[in-house]
Amino acid sequence: MFKQSLVTLAALLLFTTAINAQGRYFTKTGKIDFFSKAPMEDIEAKNKTVTAVLDTKTGALQFEVQMKGFEFEKKLMQEHFNENYVESGKFPKATFKGSVANNSTVNYAKDGTYKVNVKGKMTIHGVTKEVEAPGTVKVNAGKIDATSTFNIQLSDYNISIPSVVKEKVSNTIRVTVDTKLEPLKG
Amino acid sequence: MKRKIILGVVLLIVVAGSIAAWKYFEKATNYADKEPDITITTKELVDAFDKDTASASKRFMDKIVRVTGIVQSFDSSAVVLSEEGNASSVVVGLDERNKESVSPLKVGAPVTLQGKFSGYSKSSADPDDLLSSLGTTINIDYGGVINKK
Repeated sequence: MFKQSLVTLAALLLFTTAINAQGRYFTKTGKIDFFSKAPMEDIEAKNKTVTAVLDTKTGALQFEVQMKGFEFEKKLMQEHFNENYVESGKFPKATFKGSVANNSTVNYAKDGTYKVNVKGKMTIHGVTKEVEAPGTVKVNAGKIDATSTFNIQLSDYNISIPSVVKEKVSNTIRVTVDTKLEPLKG
Repeated sequence: MKRKIILGVVLLIVVAGSIAAWKYFEKATNYADKEPDITITTKELVDAFDKDTASASKRFMDKIVRVTGIVQSFDSSAVVLSEEGNASSVVVGLDERNKESVSPLKVGAPVTLQGKFSGYSKSSADPDDLLSSLGTTINIDYGGVINKK
């Protein structure tokens, strides 16, 4: 009887692991917005097809975004962004690879809102920088909403703003990340 | 004569200014309203990248792609198309102007979407790469649902 229960338990454990691949959560439709505030113009762009994976066991976190997928209201802004600033033909993706530094303070099994600190390497325009940003993890009914807002300096990523448009494009860009992560089955 | 020159210069300034203003205020293209460069299915699109990434990338980059597939999930900002039992997918980001076009969609039902190809991502052999378990992902942005007549 005991042996039979043990076998059932083992099978159940295996099954649960197979359902949720090692506690990983993902999205392919995350959102990243950026906002530039300059004296003469505000510029905003949205990307709605961001890929992200969070390993809740280790806190490892990874993002990937296609630069050509940023949507602008004006055609000229879209052209300048891709051709002159981020050179998306040459550097098609921006990536982040890092972790939730205080992962042990988040109880992914319990619904709630947790403050987190994310650290890692961000690559934009072919330049990789160590970054750190505050974020929020909201666990709700087996899904995770992960959000963060932080600033980046374009000059850190070798993106230079010509002096003629200095009044229109800010060197400081506010980045907002919003992802709704679902269990990764497999 | 002098008056004609002045008039000519003023006219030139007005025309150049109008062109510059038109260019400056021109809205981004709504790619879902244009004629597609390529019409394809989700499976064909994913297969093209799985087979030969370099040539597929060259073929699709910056093109207006009309893709038909099965809806795996959707909301007012993006639609995910995929084949059953396959982690690979085509993800279409919706242009703000086309957000409403998703209202008749149903998960598991076929749909045709159109937008601008913006890139792809493939599984890597790197064990530290968390994204490697997600299969091939094809990104299309500035998209919208195409209502077939």
